[in-house]
Order: sequence, then C-alpha cells, then structure tokens
Amino acid sequence: MARKSWMYSVLEAVQYEMRQDKNMVWIFELTPPVASTPGKPVINLEKEFGRTRVVNTGIDEMWMAACTLGAGLAGSKAVTYIPYQGNCMCFQIIQNHAGKLRHMTGGMAEMPIVYILEMTGQTPGFAGQHSDYEIDTYYAHIPGVKTVVPSTPADAKGMMVSAIRDPNPVVYLYPAGLRELMEEVPDDQYQTPLDKAAVRTTGSDITIVGSGGGMPEVLKATDRLVKEGMKVETIDLRCLKPMDTETLVKSVQKTKRLLTVDQSYYTLCPGAEVIARCAENVDGARFKRVAFPDAPPPAAPEMFLWMRPNADHVVAAAKKLVG
Amino acid sequence: MSERDQASQETPAADAIRSPSRRAFLKGVAGAGAAVSLVKVAWAEGEFGYWAKDLPNERLTEMFTTIVRIRWHERTMADKMLTDPNYRGYNHFYAGQEAVAVGVCSALRNKGPFEEIDLVYSTHRPTGHAIAKGIDMKRMAAENHFRATGINKGYGGEMHLADKSIGFMGADGMIGPGHVIATGSAFAIRARGSKQVVVVFGGDGTYATPHFHAALNNSALLRLPFIYVLENNLYHQYAHYSYSCPMKDIADAARTYRIPGVVVDGQDVMQVYNAAKTAVDRARAGEGPTLIEAKTYRYYNHWGAPGAKPGELGAFGYDPLAISSFRPEREVREWMARDPVDICRNVLISWGVLDRARADAIEAAAKKEAVEAFAWADKQPFCKPEDGLKNVFVEGTVPARQLA
Repeated sequence: MARKSWMYSVLEAVQYEMRQDKNMVWIFELTPPVASTPGKPVINLEKEFGRTRVVNTGIDEMWMAACTLGAGLAGSKAVTYIPYQGNCMCFQIIQNHAGKLRHMTGGMAEMPIVYILEMTGQTPGFAGQHSDYEIDTYYAHIPGVKTVVPSTPADAKGMMVSAIRDPNPVVYLYPAGLRELMEEVPDDQYQTPLDKAAVRTTGSDITIVGSGGGMPEVLKATDRLVKEGMKVETIDLRCLKPMDTETLVKSVQKTKRLLTVDQSYYTLCPGAEVIARCAENVDGARFKRVAFPDAPPPAAPEMFLWMRPNADHVVAAAKKLVG
Repeated sequence: MSERDQASQETPAADAIRSPSRRAFLKGVAGAGAAVSLVKVAWAEGEFGYWAKDLPNERLTEMFTTIVRIRWHERTMADKMLTDPNYRGYNHFYAGQEAVAVGVCSALRNKGPFEEIDLVYSTHRPTGHAIAKGIDMKRMAAENHFRATGINKGYGGEMHLADKSIGFMGADGMIGPGHVIATGSAFAIRARGSKQVVVVFGGDGTYATPHFHAALNNSALLRLPFIYVLENNLYHQYAHYSYSCPMKDIADAARTYRIPGVVVDGQDVMQVYNAAKTAVDRARAGEGPTLIEAKTYRYYNHWGAPGAKPGELGAFGYDPLAISSFRPEREVREWMARDPVDICRNVLISWGVLDRARADAIEAAAKKEAVEAFAWADKQPFCKPEDGLKNVFVEGTVPARQLA
C-alpha cells in the first residue's frame, strides 16, 4: 500500500499483466508509459518490455486503434493509450469494427483489447478541440464494446486489471484532469468489476449520479449538502456500458429524487440514460440533469468555467429538487 | 536559366536590383548551400528559380521586417509566460522557423477581397504563419490572452486563431484533418476558376497520418491549386520524426503522387521563397500541387517554455514531458547558429538592400511593436461568461444546461 497517482496505479496493473503474459503489447504516442511515485520504483514499460512489445508510434490514432484490434484478433492481449487530441480519430475502428466483429463472425472473433482514451475538459484555455469531454456519450453508445470511466486511482487500477483480463473490447476512459489525484492504492493485483457503479455516500433525500472527471465536484457538493443536513446518496457511475441499472434504480426507489451531473454535452449525456432507466423503473420520482451546454467548449476561462458544471451548480440543483 | 530571365522581365523593379554584387553573393550562397547539403531538389519537374533576386528592395525589407516581428512576438510571449503569473496563454512557439512562414507567405496574395486572396491553413504552432499572412498582432495577443476583443473574441485561443479577412483560415489543434480540409478549399477554387492558391502548413508528424496521404493523393489526382508546406523541425510533439517516417527527406513522398517534392533550407527565407514562388506559379497555372519540405527547427520545446529563461532566446535541457526522446542542447545550439534572422539580415546587407543601422532599427521597432501588443492585450476586457452560449449556430444562443 502506498499513495499513488492515477497513472502509477494504471501502469502498475499493466506491468503485472505484461509480466504474466509475454505476448501482451502496448501502443502509444505522445504519452510514454512511464510513472513514478515517492518510495516506489519508477515504472517504464518501454524500457522493461522493449520496443517490440511497447511501441511509440507516429501521430496516427486510426492505426493505433486498428493495430490494437488486429493484435487482439491474432490472439494477443493489446492495450493502446490514445491522448485526448486523437480520441475520436479512432472512432471508426472501435465503432464499426471492434464493436461488431464478434457478432458478425457468429462469436468467432476474439478481442482481448483495451482502448485507453484520454479525455480532457478540465483545463480552461485549451478550447474546442483540446477541451472536449463528450466522448463518454459517443463510445457508450457502441454495442459490443464495454465503456468505463473510473474516477479514482484505486478504481483505475482495479478496472484496468479487469479490462485487460476481459475477453471483450473495453474502452477505458481516462479523464486527464484527474491525473493529479493521489490516494492509497494496494500494491497487489486486484480486480474491480466493469459493470458496477460505486455508492460513495448513502442517504434517503436525493440520489446524485456523476462520473469520471466530474466526480471531485460532485463529491465536494455532496459534502456541502450533507453539512447542511441533506441525506445524499452519491453514486459514481463508473461503468457506462453495461450500466448498473440495479444500483441506480434501488437508490432512486428510496430517494425518489435523481440529479445527474455530466461534463459531457446535455443532449444524450450519460445522465440522460441514467434518468431514462430510472424513469422506466421507478414511479413518482423527480429528475434533473446538470450538464455542459450543447456548445463547444470556448477558450476563455470566463466562459468555459461558467459553462462546466461545478459544485455550486450541483448544490443549487439538489436544493431545488429536494426543497 | 531562361525561366529566371523571363521572370525578371516581368518584374518592373528587376533591373534596379540586379547589381553585380548581388550576383556574386548568390554564387556564394549556392556554394554554402551545397556544403551543408541542406538545399536540394529532391524530386521536381525541373529546378526552381532563384526568384528572390528579382524582388524589389521594399519587398525584401518587408521579408526581414516580418521575420523579426515574428521573432520578437515569440520572445515577448515566452517572457510573458515565464514572468507574468497573470498570463494565461497556452502557447506553442514558432521561434526558429520564421523563414518558412515568411518565405511562403511572401509568395502569396494576402490583400484584397476574400474571393481573390490566397488561403492559408495553419497548425497548432500558428503565430508565425498568422503574422506572415498579415494578422493584427494586437488582436492576436488579445486572443492568446482570452480577451473579448481577441481576433476570435476569446472563443479560440492560440490553437484556433483565424482571420478570414486576410485568408488565414485558421490554426488547427489536430494533426492531419486540416490538410485534407485545405484540399477542399482548393477543390472549390478550381471549380469556380478563381485563380487562388491554398497553402497548408504541417509538421513532420503529419507524414504518419492518413490525412497527409489523402491530401496529396486527391490534390494530385484533381490537379488542385494546393501547396503542402511541411515544416520538418525534427520533432513531432516529443518524438523525433524517425519514429513516424522511414525517409530522411519527407519530400520523397511526393514521388508516389507524381507531384514535385522539394527540400529547402527552412532557415533561409530566400530559399523558401524561391520554392514557394515556383509552387504558387505552378498551382495558379492549373498545373497542380507541390510538396515543399522545409528543414527547420523550433528553438523551444513542443509547448510552453520549459527550459527557457526570461530575456534569453531558446529552451535548453530536459523537458519533463519529453521522456522518450528529448533534444540534446548541442542540437539546439547547432541550429541556432544558423538563425533565420541572421541569415536574412546578412543576405540583405550583402545585397546592399539594408545597412546595419537600418536592420537594427527595424528590429528595435519589431520588439517595440510586440511589447506594445502584449501590453494592449493585457488591458482588454474579459469575456462575458454567457457569451459561451453564442456562435454555436448562426442564429441565437443555446440554453444553459449547467444551471439549476
């Protein structure tokens, strides 16, 4: 057990799996698979496993995604890390190939592969192309691909282990804004399921559901609301597909009020799906969505920070729903 | 060399500048170029001429002026980033590559109605291209500072700078798609017969993208008025270009598409201009695209100013983001010894176009302009938060969805 960053936790998981499986490969551009944390050895996958298994490519995310898929089809576990500026360049390969091949081949195609797709949406000033957060919606829509978005280093490690061991293609979203998060993460290899939401606080007044990069603000808002006496059940969605309907519905049956929070655009944001599932299964509940407006993220911090849901927005929406 | 003579006759001021000393100097330049073997025609339908000698003195002076304006813009911006805690810009520096932007844009039509001027598509490292095309430096500085009076009204920032009025179609934070989009503009121009030319700037990293090949293939097949200026500064993001391209000269790729592929010394504005002028003439005459590879170097790291010191040019040492492949200080120093500002300045002084005092005065004015531009930008109003809901569609605003 030691305090570890997100990236250290993930690479620790990958390093262990690559040591067990000599065929496993890792493909990257821009972001070297290197991480360090105080008191622990530096992890450098490129150095440890060599440039045949760990490849630094040119700027071609389409190739990275297709290569990963092809490696999987040939029988090797493969992981690629696609940085945020290219996380939709690979969409076609994941949507029209990885997501459909098992079905189209009558179950023949094997794809033990993981797409780590970095998302941003955290840093004002990047603007437009480098600030997008909407890929949670895009990738969660694809059948045949599991899409997850951990929000803590401990989940990041456990879900990475599960993703690598899962025989299906997994889109593993990485909100880059969480890279500074540090927490105690076990050294041993462990698995965190790819189909379970995490109930972060329990309460009976309201259910608040967030995910990924939005979780720190959701938890901040929860703290404030709890201090003011509200009984808040806060759920970290974690898994967008498959979605943990059972946990969500059980909570909303209790609270009868559901607030979803997304950094993704309002239309078709993950929260819209959460609300739809709860509305189908719970009578007499009230719902509210807080999300980024249906506008590209602007550069100027004054505009961007006003538009991106934060703890104030969550607190105000929760009070309106409960009050 | 009949092409050159013909071109000279077409240039009214040509006689005035064809002094014996300039001729003599040209021979010297050619010799130096051969010695460093940077200047060569990789694969071309005939040589490109030394057109720069035919330019009037004022155009040559303008080239030097633009080079130093870019240089001091970049240096001022770096100092701003290093010393001003209130500066919020997110910048990629163009210092070291000035001769490429200036050499290319000097061969283009930059003033006039939108339907007549040449179009430039830029990259994530856009400030040099923008200045060379004629952007208002003050409004660009304001945009880089996310102010409401910035050239994009604060919506875009550095990686999306655009000014349609001068044919600067915009920076692009992505690697690849912009190049193919640029061929679309060239396609429209050919269809309407408007005799404009489209230039796209790209880096060595673009070779690996499918877009590079789509742009060249389609522009070659359709003989589009399209020029791909590939600025090979040796590094894409933090990796050496040998990670993404199997050739030493990326211009060799042109051979595949049966179009001219030219390698030029990107530190020498005259060489760049000569290649660009040849490509522009060819494109305007309906003869199709050209790939120009300019060998150049960025004095700063991929983005931001790690390793840089206030008041000093360039960034040295270890960039924490460049884990796989960082730049040895010797390499940076070696390239800085062939500085585009010095090369242009020395050429023009040798030609008698400028003297030292005039060159110094131009550079001092450029420095002053840059400092004033950033000072002006500092005083500009901030954006209104709710304006973020505008400009999504032509009409109206979209609803705020973050509020209770």
